[in-house]
Amino acid sequence: MPREIITLQVGQCGNQIGMEFWKQLCLEHGISKDGILEDFATQGGDRKDVFFYQADDQHYIPRALLIDLEPRVINGIQNSEYRNLYNHENIFVSDHGGGAGNNWASGYHQGKGVEEDIMDMIDREADGSDSLEGFVLCHSIAGGTGSGMGSYLLETLNDRYSKKLVQTYSVFPNQMETSDVVVQPYNSLLTLKRLTLNADCVVVLDNTALNRIAVERLHLSNPTFAQTNSLVSTVMSASTTTLRYPGYMNNDLVGLLASLIPTPRCHFLMTGYTPLTVERQANVIRKTTVLDVMRRLLQTKNIMVSSYARTKEASQAKYISILNIIQGEVDPTQVHESLQRIRERKLVNFIEWGPASIQVALSRKSPYVQTAHRVSGLMLASHTSIRHLFSKCLSQYEKLRKKQAFLDNYRKFPMFADNDLSEFDESRDIIESLVDEYKACESPDYIKWGMEDPDQVLTGEGNASGTVDPKLAV
Amino acid sequence: MDLTTTSSPSTPRWNVERPFLTGRFHQETKAMSRFAEAKGFSVESFSGAGLDKAIGCFDAAVQELIVIDDLLSAMVGIEGRYISIKRVRGKEDHVIFLVDPSMDLALQELAKKIFPLCESFLMINQFVESRSQFKNGLVNHAFAAALRALLLDYQAMVAQLEHQFQLGRLSIQGLWFYCQPMMASMQALSTVIQKASANNFAGSAVLNLLQSQAKAMAGDSAVRSLLEKMAQCASNAYLGILERWVYEGVIDDPYGEFFIAENKSLQKESLTQDYDAKYWRQRYSLKDGIPSFLANIAGTILTTGKYLNVMRECGHTVQVPVSENSKLMSFGSNHHYLECIKAAYDFASSELLNLIKEKYDLIGKLRSIKHYLLLDQGDFLVHFMDIARDELTKKLDDISVEKLQSLLDLALRTTAAAADPCHEDLTCCVERSSLLKRLGTLKDPEVIRTVAEGNDLEEPMNITGLETFSLSYKVQWPLSIVISRKALRKYQLIFRFLFRCKHVDRQLCGAWQVHQGVRALNMRGTAISRSSLLCRSMLKFINSLLHYLTFEVLEPNWHIMHNRLQTAKSIDEVVQHHDFFLDKCLRECLLLLPELLKKVERLKSLCLQYAAATQWLISSSIDIPKLDELSDGSVGNSKSPSRAVKLTSRNAAVTDSILKFEREFNAELQSLGPILSSSSQAEPYLTHLAQWILGVGKDQ
Repeated sequence: MPREIITLQVGQCGNQIGMEFWKQLCLEHGISKDGILEDFATQGGDRKDVFFYQADDQHYIPRALLIDLEPRVINGIQNSEYRNLYNHENIFVSDHGGGAGNNWASGYHQGKGVEEDIMDMIDREADGSDSLEGFVLCHSIAGGTGSGMGSYLLETLNDRYSKKLVQTYSVFPNQMETSDVVVQPYNSLLTLKRLTLNADCVVVLDNTALNRIAVERLHLSNPTFAQTNSLVSTVMSASTTTLRYPGYMNNDLVGLLASLIPTPRCHFLMTGYTPLTVERQANVIRKTTVLDVMRRLLQTKNIMVSSYARTKEASQAKYISILNIIQGEVDPTQVHESLQRIRERKLVNFIEWGPASIQVALSRKSPYVQTAHRVSGLMLASHTSIRHLFSKCLSQYEKLRKKQAFLDNYRKFPMFADNDLSEFDESRDIIESLVDEYKACESPDYIKWGMEDPDQVLTGEGNASGTVDPKLAV
Repeated sequence: MDLTTTSSPSTPRWNVERPFLTGRFHQETKAMSRFAEAKGFSVESFSGAGLDKAIGCFDAAVQELIVIDDLLSAMVGIEGRYISIKRVRGKEDHVIFLVDPSMDLALQELAKKIFPLCESFLMINQFVESRSQFKNGLVNHAFAAALRALLLDYQAMVAQLEHQFQLGRLSIQGLWFYCQPMMASMQALSTVIQKASANNFAGSAVLNLLQSQAKAMAGDSAVRSLLEKMAQCASNAYLGILERWVYEGVIDDPYGEFFIAENKSLQKESLTQDYDAKYWRQRYSLKDGIPSFLANIAGTILTTGKYLNVMRECGHTVQVPVSENSKLMSFGSNHHYLECIKAAYDFASSELLNLIKEKYDLIGKLRSIKHYLLLDQGDFLVHFMDIARDELTKKLDDISVEKLQSLLDLALRTTAAAADPCHEDLTCCVERSSLLKRLGTLKDPEVIRTVAEGNDLEEPMNITGLETFSLSYKVQWPLSIVISRKALRKYQLIFRFLFRCKHVDRQLCGAWQVHQGVRALNMRGTAISRSSLLCRSMLKFINSLLHYLTFEVLEPNWHIMHNRLQTAKSIDEVVQHHDFFLDKCLRECLLLLPELLKKVERLKSLCLQYAAATQWLISSSIDIPKLDELSDGSVGNSKSPSRAVKLTSRNAAVTDSILKFEREFNAELQSLGPILSSSSQAEPYLTHLAQWILGVGKDQ
């Protein structure tokens, strides 16, 4: 069973979206809540083994690790109707059950403490697969467990499984409402450093945008977590369709990511999905042709990342790469026409320093899920405007840091002991250089970025090269 | 028509040797007797008859009686006392009648008027006798039988006339009068017969002759209807053969008269090997001598029987349902037979199409081939390339096909292909030459012409399995009609092209991953960042090429073919659509454009070289800091500027080689532009390719 992917869901948010994801996969592959293949699921042609393995008794079991430092969400899963789906050996809840208190440092530190237990579980899963392709991490970057422990796991995975890919689905906090987690900017910044350095691909799921989409597109006045999470699971399952329903191309994760990610650090992807529905919601059936779907995917209102850019900056923003995964009954002759139309109308603003175009993957739709629309589409895109999201994180961090607020919670842990806040500074520098790199991508001569002036190279090197972890540098 | 090829039983010798049985008993005239008879009907010529008196001795009234008696005999081919019948030496089928010159002149003239009738009778009779022999074929037999029946009527008439004569009611004028109706008909028939026997016609030629003669006699309705009747009788046998062919697919043609020939040496099994699909095209063929009334529909008749035969070969005894009026009979003006043939054709083609589509699941098979050979379901290939990497990189002679096959089976069993029952038909093979070389040997005149230039390519010595690996597919009869050897070969060409692209793509993905491994370094402005952008360009190129091949060429064309197959009416249409699809794909996949293909191959090999060098490039640009850090012992905290300097200086060589790759790649890619735009005049699809890989049209 080649090219398996192991999913790690860490923290409250990670487990919630992870569970939605597995629900969706079960539905699409015709697997019952207990992991048994439904009688009607006889069509074949799909690849269940990428995300599931079969137990001795033909149960399909997700290749998933459920990890949390507090028991609430995982208990919820264990009491739900999906309790028999998961392998109970793969559930980890810390003994004390006290959580990480929304403190990144606590999560990170606790992660170090239970490293052995968790790596045992990961090794067992990895040994159980023929040719492991990589890991998927679901978490949020704002809280304590998902961000802190997730960060620790990212570093460890990168170290232990350096040849494997690591993709994350990272939920960014809602910036519009005042969060109950006041230290959110700290947590985000510290996590972002790991996402930049230790992940091959980060799919950014911005809660602000998810809420906006729920309100504007789905007309929910006060969207619940369950509703936004179902948006997330839709995106997650759609972005894995080419792995689960093999087609001409993008049948493995590396092929999928390599075509999307231009340079090693610019690996943050935005997503868009259309048409959106939430469970049990009577949706207006729209005409869905390939062109309609592609056009809608390019509209900012359908993109699940908010752009905090000002108008002038927004007009500078450019697409580095786009992959549209089109699912459903598609007349393949329409694809070319649609791309042609989009090109003629100049609907996409691509980078100028290299070849770029919309890539399309046609994929089958699950025969077991009935939808009102014929065609649906997911866009995975690398877009320079994502830097504004990071800038926003940075500016929020600066505000907090200037006040020296809430730092005591962090000083309690070894990493920040003795008032050593260099970790914050390093993280800040890395995020800043990431923002710079994305900004440089907007200019036509990005290729020469930093090349002409060797002195600048030296100074640039001086700042950030200290973060090199020798173990990673292979 | 050549009758010597078909052996037929011969008639007993006496049939030839005893002239009184065959009506060939008349003596030949002496060479000069023609002049002699004109002068006087010499007594010695009648000496054998035991006559003592010349007819001139009798009274005119008596003479009339004698002449009538003699004429009645002559009408059935028997010599009389004063009328003799002689054959002309050297002129077969020609007789002359001699009258005693002393006969009353008026009687002589009247008698001479009746002679043509007698002559016609003799000719027809003789024709009937000679054509009844086996070797002349069924049509002639039938024609002869019809003539014989006619002659019986004629003889009955003669007998009645004789009766009248016995009763004393027949004068010579009366005889002349009664003979009138027969005269024209017999005359016409004898003309036909003369032509037929002069050319030794048989089979369809006889039918054609009869019909054209009937048409020529359109003014004389009696003769015309007689000839039409003859034609119909004669064609009965022929229609019998035709009926068996269009209703059962059997050639029941002992004398080789039918216009469809079967070449038994072509076996259906040959379809899986024979490049030209000879079996399908030449097993049954049209011969010369198609009856004119079937000329327009001959092709339909051929395919009808051919389809029935295919079904029989499949073990289905199929017979066109025979109803009351489906008997092939008249081919008169009502064209009933045309409708019957049409109905049989419709039945046979729809039946065969159903058989092939339903029982043998043609579409499923094509879809399965699309999964594997066109990589529509490419996950198995990803796995296969993983596990067969070592075997594929071996030299051509070291590759074990058995091992590849077992690896392929493994890959198929563990991926989505496992659900497809057809996956067992997939086999792998290793060709002896690379794709470009292979294209040169494609046995297609059109292809040979276009890739002739490609032939001068030198075969690289170190050719590996990656260049020569190919898949094959076991196709069983009767699907091999559609998926013939040639069609499969075309699939293979496309597969090998795709396979190479996939290989390049994978290698570049590997290079991409190497870059990912060093992202913790700040690479701003270093060779690595330059290299990662080059890697991106190359990935973009190969992905765009694959995109073009799959979503612009294969998928839409397959879609169109699939729709056409749904509405196809006959298997020939299916074959045609399928071939059209393959040819179109082959052309649009650039496989027929050697110039362009060479460029693309060059780009691909650049990508491969780069991908192979990446590991070295990257590691040689970062091992310095590693050493530094180790010696420093300050892991993760070495901020010494000296390290950065070393990194860049050491990078000089690396940077150079990366820039060199970049230059070559970009130059090669740019040079593709003019070729694409110049050829896109003739091949519009190249504009699409240009849009994909060069982004042309984006900024227009």
